[in-house]
Amino acid sequence: MTMVQDMSNTPIPTPEENSPRPSIGELFRRRPELVSLTILIVLCITVAAINPAFLQASSLIDMGRASVVTGLFALGVFAILAAGGIDVSFPAIAALTMYSATLFVINVWPTAPMALIVASTVIGGAGLGALNGWMVHTLKVPSLIVTVGTQYLFRGILLAFIGTVWLMELPPQMIAFGKASLLEFESANGAIVTLPMYFLIFPAAAIVTWYMFNKTLMGRAIFATGGNADVAERLGYDQRIVHVFVFAFTGALAGLAGIIHVCANRMANPFDLVGTEIEVIAAVVLGGARITGGTGTVFGTITGVLLITVVNNSLVLVGIPSTWQRVVVGGFILLAAAFFVKRQQK
Amino acid sequence: MSQPDTEKHLLELRGIHKRFGGVHALRGVDMTIDPGEAYHLLGENGCGKSTVIKVISGVHAPSEGDIILDGTTFDNLSPIQALEAGIETVYQDLSLLPNLTVEENIALGQQLVSGKGRLMRGLNKTLLAETAAEAIRNVGLEPTRKLMKSPTAELPLAIRQRVAIARAIASKARLVIMDEPTTSLTRKEVDALIELVAKLRASNVAVLFVTHKLEESYRIGGQVVVFRDGQCVAQGKIEDYSRADLSKLMTGREIEALRYRQGKPMDGEMVRVRDANSGEAFFDISFSVRKGEILGITGLSDSGRNELAMALAGHLGLSKGSIEIEGKPTRIPSPAAAIELGIGYVPEDRLSEGLFIQKSILENEITLIFNQLTNAFGMINARKGRAEARRISELMTVNTKDIDLPVGALSGGNQQKVLIGRWLSIEPKILVLHGPTVGVDVGSKDSIYRAVQAMAERGISLIIVSDDLPELLQNCDRILVMNRGEMVDELDANTADEKQIYRSMLASRREAAE
Repeated sequence: MTMVQDMSNTPIPTPEENSPRPSIGELFRRRPELVSLTILIVLCITVAAINPAFLQASSLIDMGRASVVTGLFALGVFAILAAGGIDVSFPAIAALTMYSATLFVINVWPTAPMALIVASTVIGGAGLGALNGWMVHTLKVPSLIVTVGTQYLFRGILLAFIGTVWLMELPPQMIAFGKASLLEFESANGAIVTLPMYFLIFPAAAIVTWYMFNKTLMGRAIFATGGNADVAERLGYDQRIVHVFVFAFTGALAGLAGIIHVCANRMANPFDLVGTEIEVIAAVVLGGARITGGTGTVFGTITGVLLITVVNNSLVLVGIPSTWQRVVVGGFILLAAAFFVKRQQK
Repeated sequence: MSQPDTEKHLLELRGIHKRFGGVHALRGVDMTIDPGEAYHLLGENGCGKSTVIKVISGVHAPSEGDIILDGTTFDNLSPIQALEAGIETVYQDLSLLPNLTVEENIALGQQLVSGKGRLMRGLNKTLLAETAAEAIRNVGLEPTRKLMKSPTAELPLAIRQRVAIARAIASKARLVIMDEPTTSLTRKEVDALIELVAKLRASNVAVLFVTHKLEESYRIGGQVVVFRDGQCVAQGKIEDYSRADLSKLMTGREIEALRYRQGKPMDGEMVRVRDANSGEAFFDISFSVRKGEILGITGLSDSGRNELAMALAGHLGLSKGSIEIEGKPTRIPSPAAAIELGIGYVPEDRLSEGLFIQKSILENEITLIFNQLTNAFGMINARKGRAEARRISELMTVNTKDIDLPVGALSGGNQQKVLIGRWLSIEPKILVLHGPTVGVDVGSKDSIYRAVQAMAERGISLIIVSDDLPELLQNCDRILVMNRGEMVDELDANTADEKQIYRSMLASRREAAE
C-alpha cells in the first residue's frame, strides 16, 4: 500500500507523546505482577529477619520442591485465563492420568521406561483437556460449567472404574525419578537435603509456555481470543483450534504435574490433588492475570506461584499457625485486586 | 471509474439468502463490486446491511446463493479466504483487540493470512513491526514506540479508528468495507477519511461504506446500493438518485408526508430544568416541557444528550442546577425516586438495561406495580395483574395475544412496545424515551409512534432523546440540539429540517476544530 502516502495533514495528538517517565503507579498498572513481586520480596525479607532459618538451604529446597506441581498447574491455568476461559478440571485430569498410568505400570508393564510413563500422562492429559476445549467450543457453554462437569466426570471415572486404593509400592524407575538429585546440601543438623532433578521441569515448562505465548502466532491468537472472542473470530483466528489447543495444553501440563506428584510422594493416592484448583487459580490471579481474560504473563504466574508457596511454607517459621495461611492468601488476593481495580478506575 | 459489465467483477453476490433460525435476514441479494469504485450501502436498521457485509467478509455463511470472487464461485467464504482475497473490514465497533498492542492489531493479520490461518507457527516480530509502522504512517500517524506498543484499549477513539483503518490497508487490500465509519468522528476527521478513500480508489481499491449519512455519500460519490427487508432494491450511480428517491427506496414509502404529531401541548408546565450541570457531561442546560408536549433532544453521541436523559431519570446526579416538576423544586437522586415522582425512563439498551428477557410479557409489563398488586400477605393478585398486562398489550398493539410468552421470543419492535407499555401501568407524568426505535423495523416504528402520540394526548409529557432525526421531526413539538455538553439550538419541529439540525449538531465543533 505504498500509494497511500498520507491520510491528511491533520495532526491528531498521539497519547501523551512527551509525558515524563512513567510513575510507579503507572508501572504497577501496566505490570500488575510487580505488585505481587513486591509483596513477595517484602514477605521474604520480613520472614528472614524474624527467623533466619528461612534462608537455609533446606527450607529453600523444600519450597522449590513444593512449587513444582502448583507451578505446572498454574502455567496451564494462566494459558486458559489468557484465552478468556477458566478451568477447574485440571486436578481431576492430573489425578486420573497419574493413577491410571501408575496402576498400569505396576500391574501390566513393571519395566516400562520412565520417559514413556511421563509421555503417556502428558498425552492422556492433553487428550482429556482437548475434550474440554472441544466441548467449550461446540456447546458454546462457559468453560467454568464445562470443566465443573468434566471435573466430576473424570474423578468419577477414576474412583468408580479404576480404583480407590492407595498404590504404595511404586516400580523402581518411578522411585528413582523422584529421588534423582540435582543438588545436595548438608543442613545445619547434619541431614542431607536434596533438590530433586524433577524440579527442573518447572522452569523448563515455563520457558516452553513463554516461547509459545511470545514467539508463536498461537500465543497471540490465545490473547486475541481472551481479549474479545467474537472479534478474534471475525479476524480469522480459528476459535476451534484455539480452544482445543489451550485446553489440551493445560491438560498436558496437568498430566505432567500428576506423575511428578506421584514420584515425589512415592505413592499414588487417587484422592489427591482434587481441591487444589482454587489455590492454583489464586496464584495465577496474584500473578496479574485478569479473571476476565486476555492478560497475564509467564513471569507473573511464576511470581504468584512463589508467593503462594512462600506463604504456605514460611509462616510456620515465624510462628504463625498453618491454619492462618488461608487468611493471609485471601488477604493478599483482596489487597492486590483492590489495588488493580483502583488503578484502572483512575 | 466503474468498469463496463463485460469485464470481470471483483466480487459478485448472486441470490444470497441468509436465515438465522426463523429470521430471514437476506432474501435473495444480488450485487456487484468493481475495483476502484466506492459503494454506499444504504437502508434502514434491520434491513440486512450488517448481514451482507458479514457474508462478504466470511463471518456468516449464506444459507443459499453464490459468492463470485475474481470469477471463482464459492458457496461461502471463510474469514481467512476473504482476507486472502484482500477483503478487509473496518467494523463499526472497529473490532480491535483491546488487550493487544497497536502493532499487533495492525499487522498480525498479515502473518495469519500468509499462513492460511495456521496458528502453530513462529511469529515474525520484525515483519510485524515494519508492516505496522508503514500502515500507521499511511493513515497519518507517527509510529512512535509508545503508540505502537500501547494496548488499543488505552487509546482515544479517533486514534483507534485510524488504527482500524491502518489494519485494513496494511495488507494488499482490494476491497475495504467500512461500517458507519464516521458516526463518532469530528468534521475534520471525516474530511481526512474522505481524502483517504479517494487515495484508495486511485490505487484501484474498492471501498464499500455502510452508512446513513447521505450528505457524506454525495460528497464521496460512486454507487449507491439500497437495501430493504433483506433485498437489494437498487444499485446505481449516486448522482442519479435524489435524497427523496433514496428515502423512498429505503423505506418503501414517501416519508416526507408523514408527520405523526397532530396534537398540541396542553396548558401548564410539567418540568422546568434550570442551569443543570453534570460533571464533564453537560453544562448549564435549561429548558421546560409542558403537559402533553413532546420534546426531542438530539446531538452526537458525545454531546451530553445521553447523560441528560439519564439525569432526568435519576441514573446520574446533577452537580449543579435544579429541576422543578409542576412548579415544585425537586431532586432526582435515584431511579426509584424518579418513579416515585412519576418519571418513566425507557433506556437505550433495552436488552441489558430494560427488559427481563427470559420472563414473560406479563411479568415485564407489571413489574412496576408489583407493590400495588400484592395484598397484606405479600401475595400477588394474579387476575388483576393479567388484566393490566392485557390492557397494556392492547394499547401498545403488541403483536401477540399470549402474554405468557417470554419477551425474548418477540421481535425488537415488539420488545420495545412492552418496555414502553410498562410505564402505562403507573400513568407517569413524564416519560423519557432514549432511542425508542433503535434496531426496530419500519412497521413497529409506526405503531410505537402512534402509541407515543396517544400518550401525549393523555397529558403525559414525553422527552425523546434520539439521533434519528426523521423520528424527532415526525413526532415532536420542539427539538433541542446539544453540542459538546451545551444546548445550542431550539427548533420548531413543524418547520425545521434535517439539514438545520445537522448544522447545529456539528456547528461549534467545526468552529472549534478550525
